[in-house]
Amino acid sequence: MMKMNRPSQIGRRTFLKGTGVSLALPFMDSLGWAAGSKSAKPPVRLAFMYMPHGVIMDQFWPKSQDEFLNSPPPIIKSLQPIMDQCLMMKGISGVPIAPFNGAPHALELSTWLTGRLPDASSRGRINIAISADQIMANYVGAHTLLPSLELATMPQTWKENQAGLHEGYYNHCSYRSPTQPVPAEIDPRNVLNRLFGKRDKEGRVTQTSPLDRLMLDRVLGGARDLRRTLTKVDQQKLDEYLDSVRSVERRIGAIESRQQEAALEKNSIAPSKRHATDSAPIEIKIPEGDKRSEYMQVMCDLTVLAFQTDTTRVSTYIGSRPNGASYPELGFTNQHHSQTHYGTDQEKIRKVAAINKLNVDQYAYMVKKMHTLKEGEGTLLDNCIMMWGSGLENGNKHRRDNLPFILAGKGGGSLRTGQFLSNVKGNQGDLLTTLLSCVGVPLDRPIGIANKQIEAIKS
Amino acid sequence: MNRITCILITLILAGFPPVVAKGVDEAALRADAQKTFKEKVEPFVNKYCTRCHGSVAKAGINLKSALQNPGGESAALHWKKAVANVTLHDMPPEDSSKKPTDEERRQFAEWVSKVKYLAPRDPGPFVIRRLTKTEYANTLRDLYGVDTAIADSLPEDVVGEGFLNSISPLQSELFLGIANKVVEQIVAPDGKAPTAIQMRLFGDTPEGTDLRKAAREIARSLAREAYRRPPTTTELNVLVDIYDLAHKHELKHTAALGLMLKAVLVSPQFLFITPASNPKSAKERIVRLDDYQLASRLSYLLWSSPPDAKLSELTDKGKLHQPNILRSQVARLLKDARSRALFDGFGAQWLRVNELDDQVFDPKNFPQMTPTLRTAMMEEARLFFGSIVSENQSVVRFVDSDYTFLNEPLAKVYGLEQSVRGSQMRRVKLTDPNRGGILGMPATLATTSFPNRTSPVIRGVWVLERVLGERVPPPPPDIPELEEQDHQKVEGLTLRQRTQLHQSEATCRNCHKILDPIGFGLENFDAIGRWRDKNGEGIVINPAGKLPDGKEFNTPAELKRLLAKREADLARNLTERLMAYALGRHLEGYDDVVIDQLMVKIREDNYRMRTIITEVITSYLFTHQRIK
Repeated sequence: MMKMNRPSQIGRRTFLKGTGVSLALPFMDSLGWAAGSKSAKPPVRLAFMYMPHGVIMDQFWPKSQDEFLNSPPPIIKSLQPIMDQCLMMKGISGVPIAPFNGAPHALELSTWLTGRLPDASSRGRINIAISADQIMANYVGAHTLLPSLELATMPQTWKENQAGLHEGYYNHCSYRSPTQPVPAEIDPRNVLNRLFGKRDKEGRVTQTSPLDRLMLDRVLGGARDLRRTLTKVDQQKLDEYLDSVRSVERRIGAIESRQQEAALEKNSIAPSKRHATDSAPIEIKIPEGDKRSEYMQVMCDLTVLAFQTDTTRVSTYIGSRPNGASYPELGFTNQHHSQTHYGTDQEKIRKVAAINKLNVDQYAYMVKKMHTLKEGEGTLLDNCIMMWGSGLENGNKHRRDNLPFILAGKGGGSLRTGQFLSNVKGNQGDLLTTLLSCVGVPLDRPIGIANKQIEAIKS
Repeated sequence: MNRITCILITLILAGFPPVVAKGVDEAALRADAQKTFKEKVEPFVNKYCTRCHGSVAKAGINLKSALQNPGGESAALHWKKAVANVTLHDMPPEDSSKKPTDEERRQFAEWVSKVKYLAPRDPGPFVIRRLTKTEYANTLRDLYGVDTAIADSLPEDVVGEGFLNSISPLQSELFLGIANKVVEQIVAPDGKAPTAIQMRLFGDTPEGTDLRKAAREIARSLAREAYRRPPTTTELNVLVDIYDLAHKHELKHTAALGLMLKAVLVSPQFLFITPASNPKSAKERIVRLDDYQLASRLSYLLWSSPPDAKLSELTDKGKLHQPNILRSQVARLLKDARSRALFDGFGAQWLRVNELDDQVFDPKNFPQMTPTLRTAMMEEARLFFGSIVSENQSVVRFVDSDYTFLNEPLAKVYGLEQSVRGSQMRRVKLTDPNRGGILGMPATLATTSFPNRTSPVIRGVWVLERVLGERVPPPPPDIPELEEQDHQKVEGLTLRQRTQLHQSEATCRNCHKILDPIGFGLENFDAIGRWRDKNGEGIVINPAGKLPDGKEFNTPAELKRLLAKREADLARNLTERLMAYALGRHLEGYDDVVIDQLMVKIREDNYRMRTIITEVITSYLFTHQRIK
């Protein structure tokens, strides 16, 4: 297929135009993490935020530890006030993509959290591996209302078939199983409903009722009957259905118990599970215009709110998808991808750097905000690991030897922030394996091509 | 690898004849292919290749393992690369002691092309399939009279080939939320007058009705409609159990039926196309789809909607699979207004005009490009596609026709605003031979342009891929696009001259010498499809060029006519695309053999559009499934 300008998807307008509303959340004061007692340590949370097509390297990487802390390069400049909370490591290589050399963009996203290549003998179908975020969701998801959160800013419908690979690889980075990509939510209002339930004027959750849970339970029973009559491949498909409905059922149950707890706390029958000093949940403002940065920002806010209220502990955010994104607010309408094969063109390099900076700025906005929110003995950021990165080193030559990543947050004391490591030797899988170990997920085997942990980033 | 594939395409386009199956004796072809691989390919590979591409597998190519199962899925790519490299004299390498002659190289390519006959007869699986977002919305509309906007919150799907047949917690939550809304809308609260839909679904409950018994019958009819097949006893029991559950929670009869309906709407039997029979009990590896599955597959293909009463009646009688009946149902469904779904789902994607809505146009250069004009452009494409289907015209008419559909805003693009007034779209006879057909159509011309100018390269690729069905490989990375060529060198050159600079770079030349002339042949149409004699810089446009086979053209009209002569390629492309869309998967292996067979019949009927659709639907691939 083609590497060339394609029309951009501006579906975001559908949601954002003329909505400039601020959505207040009733009962927010009681939506805390269910820690059990005041002395309990807050849970460690992990988020991934993605940008396609790599970075302009010399405007991204610091030259030294000192530069990292005191005069960071232009693209990461906005992180400067909290560089001591951040961590950068140069030398993380991507999964080598042969025999899929013709599929750099399908692979930059689909290998990003899986750390491995799709199955070459069944390219026309999705067959890769469970992704790091979903491994974590399997492990900690049962503690929260949502096992995981997947966000994006563009519909996952880019129809490009690179090197014979299924179109889905182009659009997805989260995989619940090797064959099951997880779609992302792109409408901020839906995300809010999903996080806290749709409510009526009195603040009651209207979306679901306890009877629905019992009904679903019987539907699941019926589905199991159906399963017995199906062939093996059909059964596997139905298992995805069973899995997804069970999670809905569990979610309804969680909303119920959350409401009960809230009622008990309100009437002072039960003690609050939050610290008195914890910050109040942040407010979500859905922007009025159709600026890409504002759209990206509201999704950042939702991630913060989801973490702050312990509604989920793992979140994946495709800030923008390979191909299709443009940033008119930067003063040019060119699509991101069309600028990334810049050769020696200074104008394009300038534009790509501006796009890189805009993306990192949103990430910086998110982590800086998290660092202002009090949680337990420290800040929300202290208890999280927020990763930003891309699936290519640079878009010009599709290189993957040295992928750009930024980490922020101490991960509950598991990460040693404030350092720039100029030469770690590791790969994408190593990094993911290390991060999961930091958030306390025991792994029976390393992720993808990993063969070690990157000890230098751990504290 | 990119360069090599580029060149491979060049060779294909230069006129290597496609292998066409004349007869349909598959067994003989398979035996011949097996013999060829054993007696010809294997000795060739052993002599020239396996020293490096055996167990060592240099460059990831292992021809030794490919020989063990030459028809296997993983071998396909190895053969493709091997043929490309051998044909190009890239392999065996210069310093190799043994090198094949030119004739041997040519033969090797020919032998390997028989690989498709090695694939076993296989229609592929028909895994239970989730309804797409559109199908789900239309189904709710058809069955319960609700607005399709009710499903707007669902994530968008890629439809047809590339469809992700999966379901996630997010989707399940939304399905439940939407089911709630449907029930809220159609079931009146207790004490209020029932809605019409409610009356149809739940009927009346006169005094003395045995409510539980009535609930079972209602469950039966709800499920028959929503599951698109009769429910099993077990399935009925589940629904009645839910009715009882509602009662236990003090819901009255109607509200309890509402809960039952909600259960139907979140059941896998509704959300997926599931088999009616018990396929697990079948002994065969390959079976016919049962009539209910066939009816769903058919109506969702042509209508993106569930089977109607007539189709359900035929399935209940077990007649739908009979070829003459299936054919007549295809004809009936295509006459129905719902068949516009074939354009929305398939046609628009094939022509890429589904991207028009999101296309950005520079308002300074194209203030005319208003939402009204976009809508008219899309309507033109839809009506034109629809006319070829409904009038059963030859697919050649897609490329070369003398009519189109216009309203006043769109007529301005054609310069015909004097004769076409008002906002109503109507059929218009065209006298300008440059117009008429998808090559001179504003929707396609605009979709293949940049925000501020035309792109001959995108248009060239579009013609090759979308019209003729060639595969154009991606350019290698780090190739500057036009705008990024050295500014000083570029100044004062026409777009064509600038693009020719592109061609002077060795890595680009092989593909661009094919793409560019076709794209430049359409340069007289600007980025929103208006005719122009001069380009933006005021330089006179010269559309003349050559096709890869050497045939020359001087105007878009002549280009159009040359392409229209490639009717077999046009028809095969459309057939393959429609088949992949219908099956919701990429074509591979044995599929190719079936397409060969269909093309024989399609050619006999002069490549008519409805024949293509009917042949796809009655094909072995569409009507059968592998269950083991």
